[in-house]
Parts: sequence; C-alpha cells; structure tokens
Amino acid sequence: MEPRDVFLHVRGEAVFVDDALLPAEHLFAAIRTSHVAHGHVRSLDIAPAMAVPGIYEVFTARDIPGENQVGKTILDEPLLAESEVHFVGQPLAIVVGESAEAARRAARAIQVEIDPLPAIYDVRQAFAEGSLIAPPRTFSSGDVESAWEQCSVVVSGTVESGSQEHVYMETQSAFALPTDRGGVKVVSATQSPSMVQLVVARILGLPMHEVEVEVPRLGGGFGGKEDQATHWAAMAALAAWRLKKPVKLVLTRHEDMTMTGKRHPYLSDYKLGLDAEGHMLAYEVTFYQNGGAVADLSPAILERSLFHATNAYAIPHVKAVGISCRTHLPPNTAFRGFGGPQALFVLECAIFKAAEALGVEPREIQKRNLLQDGDAFPYGARVERCRQRRCWDVAEQKYNLQAGLKEVRQYNGRNAWRKKGLALMPICFGISFTSTFLNQAGAFVNVYVDGSVGISTSAVEMGQGVNAKIQEVAARIFSIRPERIKLETTSTSRIANMPPTAASTGADLNGHATRLACLDIVERLKDAAARCLGKNAPHEIEIRDEAVYASGEATELTWEKLVNLAYFDRVSLCAQAHCATPDIFFDRDTNKGNPFAYYAYGTALVEASLDCLRGTCSIDAVRVVHDFGRSLHPLVDLGQMEGGIVQGVGWMLLEEVMHDADGRLLTDTLATYKIPDIHSIPGEIQVHFLEDAENPPGIFQSKTVGEPPFLYGIGAYFALLQAMKAFRPDAHIPFSSPMTPEKVLLALYPGDRPV
Amino acid sequence: MKRIIQLTINDKEYEVAVEPNQTLTDMLRYELGLTGTKKGCEVGDCGSCTVIMDGIPVNSCLVLAMQANGRKITTIEGLETEKGMHPIQKAFVEKGAIQCGFCTPGMILSSKSLLDKNPNPTEEEIRAGISGNLCRCTGYQKIVDAVKSVGK
Ligand code: FES
Ligand code: FES
Repeated sequence: MEPRDVFLHVRGEAVFVDDALLPAEHLFAAIRTSHVAHGHVRSLDIAPAMAVPGIYEVFTARDIPGENQVGKTILDEPLLAESEVHFVGQPLAIVVGESAEAARRAARAIQVEIDPLPAIYDVRQAFAEGSLIAPPRTFSSGDVESAWEQCSVVVSGTVESGSQEHVYMETQSAFALPTDRGGVKVVSATQSPSMVQLVVARILGLPMHEVEVEVPRLGGGFGGKEDQATHWAAMAALAAWRLKKPVKLVLTRHEDMTMTGKRHPYLSDYKLGLDAEGHMLAYEVTFYQNGGAVADLSPAILERSLFHATNAYAIPHVKAVGISCRTHLPPNTAFRGFGGPQALFVLECAIFKAAEALGVEPREIQKRNLLQDGDAFPYGARVERCRQRRCWDVAEQKYNLQAGLKEVRQYNGRNAWRKKGLALMPICFGISFTSTFLNQAGAFVNVYVDGSVGISTSAVEMGQGVNAKIQEVAARIFSIRPERIKLETTSTSRIANMPPTAASTGADLNGHATRLACLDIVERLKDAAARCLGKNAPHEIEIRDEAVYASGEATELTWEKLVNLAYFDRVSLCAQAHCATPDIFFDRDTNKGNPFAYYAYGTALVEASLDCLRGTCSIDAVRVVHDFGRSLHPLVDLGQMEGGIVQGVGWMLLEEVMHDADGRLLTDTLATYKIPDIHSIPGEIQVHFLEDAENPPGIFQSKTVGEPPFLYGIGAYFALLQAMKAFRPDAHIPFSSPMTPEKVLLALYPGDRPV
Repeated sequence: MKRIIQLTINDKEYEVAVEPNQTLTDMLRYELGLTGTKKGCEVGDCGSCTVIMDGIPVNSCLVLAMQANGRKITTIEGLETEKGMHPIQKAFVEKGAIQCGFCTPGMILSSKSLLDKNPNPTEEEIRAGISGNLCRCTGYQKIVDAVKSVGK
C-alpha cells in the first residue's frame, strides 16, 4: 500500500468494503446453501422465509434475468443451483432483509428438500469413474521409458498434500448500488474487478459498461478472492438491481469457510531415477488434483503444477501428467503458489526417498542437480540469468551449513527425547500468468495543476504492497516526492479489461504500465519546458528532485511551476498506457513454449526441533538467500517473504482441512482450523537479498516477490522429517502433509513396535 | 427491545440504544460508525475486534453491548491525541508491521494494553500479549519488532 494507507490503518480509518457508509435505507443479503453434497433438488419453499419479519425478497435461480453462470473458462458453475446441487455450501437462494440477522434467520427458514445422489470425494475414485474437469495434460521431455535402464536407483511412491483455507482476515464481501441508467455499481473485495464486471453483466443481461466495479482495498486475498469473490458481488448486484436499493452482502467467517474453495489437495504418484552419483535422470509424476465440484481455476492451477514439476532442478527425461478430478467438494481455487507448491513437494519427497536409497543426504542430490544457464525445462524454455546455484552457495556459506549440521548432530547426540533436523529448500518459480493473454495491464496517470498526481492501475492492493511499488515507480520517473502521488482505488470505469491481481505479476505489469504513462507525460513536460525556456531542445531538459534543469543548469522552473506552465500551454497532463509482457508464448497443443518473463530463485535453510514425546514440532529458524532482483522496496519485499514463509510452514505442518463422510466441512471455524499464531511461527527468519541480481524484464531491474516465499515452507516438512529420522532411523514416514503431531506420533510409535 | 446504555468511548460520553443481543463490536461499528474495530470471526478466535475495556483488552465480539454499560472503552480511533499518534501506532508504521491492515487495529490495541502494564516487555511477554490476535499476512515478525521498539 502507499505510505498514506499505512497511517489510515493504524488509525482505524482505512475503509474496507464492510466499513463503507451506505445510504440509510440499504438492505442486507444472506445466502441459503445446500446441506447435501450431491443431489436433486426436489423442492425449495421460500414461503417460510418471506414470513420472517423484515424480509423484502428471496431470489432463486429463476429470478436471474441474464445467464445463471459464473464460470470463467469452463462454463459449469451456476450462481444459484437449479435442479441439482454439487457440494455442501452451494448457494441456492439469496434472502434480502432490513438487517443481516433477519436475512440469515429467513435463509435458515427456507424449506429445501434434496434427494441425495452418490457423491465422490476421493480423486482416485473420481478418476476411475471418469469424473474429470478437463482432459489430462502431459508435459514431457527426453524419453522417460528408456531412461530408467540407465538409472542406478529408481524410487517410487505416493505423496499426499493437504488443502489449505485462505483465512484472509477480511471475509468475502460486496455491496451494490443501482444506477439511474438501470445499471449497477458494485464495490467488491475482489482480486479480479473485470471478472466481477463481466459476470455481473452476464447475470443481469447488461452490457459491461452498465456495470462498474470498484475495489477500495482487500483485507488479504492470497488467491482466495481471485475467482471466488465474484459470487457474492454478483448476488449483491442481483438483489440491488432487482429491488432498486443498495444491498450489502458480507459472509461470516463460518459461511466463508464452508462456501468457498481452498487450496487443492493433491494425490501424486512419482517415480524418480538417478545414477550412482545422484544425478536425477528420469522423473515421472502424475498429479491427481482434487478440483471440487466445478472448474473454477483448476485447469490453470494444474498447468502450473506441470510447469513446476521439476522445481529448481535439471532433469533430462521427464513425464508429468496432470489430472483434474471433479468431486463433490466446494470448488478448490487459487492460493499463493497456484499449484506450484504441490508439485515442488512431490519432487522433494522423491528426492528424500532417493537419498535413503543411495545412502546420501537429500541436500547432496539437491545440490548436484540445481539448474544453471542453458538447462531446459520439460516445456522447452531455457534458463538464462540463472541464479539457482549462486543462491545455494551463498546460503551454504552465509548461514554456515557445516557448522549448523554439526550443531544438530551434537544436539541430537545429547538429547534422547528431543531431536533437531535441518533441511535445505531451493526454489524456482516462473513469473507471469501461464495464460499468456492475461499478461497485460493498464495505468492511467493524472497530473493536476498543483503538481499532485493520481494514478489508477489494474492492480488491487491487498497488503502485498503493490501500490507502494507503483508509487515508487512514478516518483522515480517524475523525480518528485512520493507524497505527491496518490494511488486511486481500482475501478473498471478507469481501467478496462484488467487481469486479476495474481500470479505475483501485479507490481511488474502495473509498474511497467505506470512507467510508460509517466514517461509520456514527462516527454510533454520537457517539450513545454523547452518552449518556455526558449533556448533548449527537449532532450536537454531534465527533471530532477522536483527541479527542472536545462543542459545540466538549474532553471527557475520547479515541478509545480512546470506543471502549471504546461497546463496554460494547453498540454495534456493525463496519460494512459498499456503494458503487455514481451516475448512470452506457450502452445497448449505441444505443451512447449516460453511462458515466463523470468524466474525467481532462492534457497532456504530450515531448522526444526521435535519433541519426540508429544510429537510437536517447532521451527527454530528459516534462513533464506533470495533473488529479489534489485529490490524496488526492500521493506515490502521482506514483509512478503516473512508472511509467505509462515503461510507455507502452516500448510506443511499445521493447517488441516477435514470433511466428514458426507462432504461437510468439519474445520469450519478458526477454533478448529488453526493458522499459525504467534506461538507457532519460526523462532527466527533471516533473509539475505542476493547481491548483483539485476533483472532486465522486471520493473527497474526488480523481481516480484508475492508467491515464491511460500515455497520455502516446504523445507519445514523435511527439516521435521530429518528430526524424526534422528529419533527413529527406521521410521516409516508417509509423505503426507500437513505433518501434524498426530501423524508424527503415529510414525514414531507404530502400534506394533514399542519404543 | 432496545435499552439505553451509557458508556465512555475514547473519553467521550455516549448514550446508545442497543438490542439485548447486540455485540459491542456491532454497536461500535454500526450504531456509532467506529469501523476501525474489525470483524474477522465474531466468535472470539481472531482478535480483530479487540478494544480496551476498563484497561483490559477484550474481544468486543464476545461482549454484549449491554455489558459495556457504565464502562470505559478505548477503540483504535481513540489512540491518537492532540500530541499526535501513540508511539505504538508510529512503530507499526516504521517497522513495516502492516500489510493488508485488517488485523492492525486489534494488534495495536493488544500491544498498547500490554505496554501500559509492562513498558519493557520481553519477547516472550510480547508474544503472550498478542497471542489472541491472528495475522495472515505478516508472519508476525515485524509486529513483534514494532512492539519491541516501543518497549525500549
Ligand atoms: S471478531 Fe472478535 S475475535 Fe474475531
Ligand atoms: S496485516 Fe493482513 S492480517 Fe495482519
């Protein structure tokens, strides 16, 4: 966020969607959902709801004037279920009342009868029954089949990774206001304003220009508001449009947890072959993705799993298959890392097992196979400016790996019931949307006559600091104080056809667009200055630190004076610019191409302590060397790093999503679903910014941060495994995340073997 | 049936008509427009709604408005005086303890209440002091740094 926003936050003045002051006569909406995972809706009686005092209206699928469809690429998701339901928590009806309580009471009063049908929750069963969201995809390189023969060691097995609830602290929320033209304005906590606009227009049967979507800021998103903020916005819009009154819809935490999808659980089969020196020669992996009931973003997320199947390593023979399974769970969706973490976890498990087979440490295999310039990914792209090995080496030296290992050994020798483990986690993450067309963004820059600047972009601020970075870009191009620059809310009326703020692309795409727009204005200002000063060519003019120089000499012009002068000279002080990432492409028929603008690299050392009696694990330290390019905003980047690591550790060790046998979410409050609190975070997080790390495709040579830090969390799992092995070298440890204390104890003390 | 309660909020006297089942959070937000008090769960799990009541930090979603009758409440809006922001507010800004900002008001009030009682808390005491507040963005490091910096 821009610095001014920070002050609003500490004063409690920052307005989130639910904080906005609405006209006094506004109404509240609540949702009635399905209590059955799969079934035929036999009847839906809204009469009891209408009888609740204070209720205005109940809307069902029949009341949708346009198309009852919120799907994105695959159109398989109704806003309100019609004759069938496909997951517990699927919306059936919207109730609108004079208070949120009344609306909720009435929603509960609706009589719904559903005849249950058989439901599938398991991916293997879904696959066996052909219940797929899209046809399987295969990325391959080399010739896996014939490569196995060259391997000295081949390991194989299965890896399970769990789901993860986003727990953005601000729940899903939106309000909508009818416009005098018969359109609607929606204020939504979404990462995808244009997607909300498109869907609202589709639901209401309106042209998109009659729907304005505005986003003030988000109280966290993490991907959970990329596709799944749309529904609530569309429901508020439908109600407001039909009733011609403002309507607000804010989910409670419980509703949010039960109605929205989460990170995809994966079940993966792997086979990894190495030569005697530990070179990985062949890798075969099949990802079974639990997509939930509708497509949402599942195919795109699965595609990123395929892109990142080999993480930071060069493996010549690869076959990676992705299968997106349709089940009767809420639609799983984007979450920081977008399928990358699941893929990385599988390969690290395979390496762990291969290390046992070869009688070496996993880190030896990891190090031997790190990417370097000239290596190619299975999808054909070659690595350039690769800093994988450099990050690893710096991490080894800077954090004194050998000493650390020795300490761990000594500690483990001294302690019978407490063990430590140390693991390394190299990461490589491609930056760009893997759907090439999404890699575009717009910026609109206004310079006002007093020298202040307002900037609108496609970016949504959700705490990731994108606005602070954009402000920095504009301040550098104009060479003025950042305080002069304001970042506006995100609005579809100012920027059309925005990509979601996702895939860690926000700062790059919008930063570049802002840079281009500012450069336009600077050109015009220089022309104006040259005309005014009379004796210089525009290229001899320079604006530096709020002052204007001609041929290196100070002039009487300041930024303010120059702006004012340009205005009276009838020069346009607004500019719009569009940025499209150059040189990226991907062919989905051959699964080859160069889909990423660049890659983020880094390595983490993770140290874990295990209490072998209780099964509890604490992460003592996460020490990272990361390639930030030339960081545009070190404090913001550091914050992203720390927050991402903690989320990643949460996914690996702590956060467990559970359903009952009928597809009902059991972990449906923050009391039963635990995200890291202050007691469960690493004792120490150290971050070293890799030096000499220019990144030409990034904005001002920087690299974006966003998602990659999450991947370091995976190291926590293997640090814990190391500690478990130190306690019980023969332990059979399943590759199954999260590795909760319960699972730790089951592995350390299998029933048939007393301690 | 609504009942009138009297209470002091941020050193100002209020008389508010409240429903018997209305929470203090909802009263602050929707009756008085003090929307700096956030709702993250409404069942006492997250600390977003923290306010200080008679010197003690409470989850205002677990307090009925009527229970606040006659009490003295400090919300995030009441921290700044004519002399400027409270040092803990400044520290959150300077140390980068804010990302999305949603947990910030609650975090600041828990921290303030800790610092009021214990001006030089140890790291352990800081952790205990904000253990009822969840933050999904920052990983807590910078929040602990901020509280520490005021302590010193
Ligand atoms: S809203 Fe009160 S503790 Fe979460
Ligand atoms: S800053 Fe977002 S929840 Fe704490």
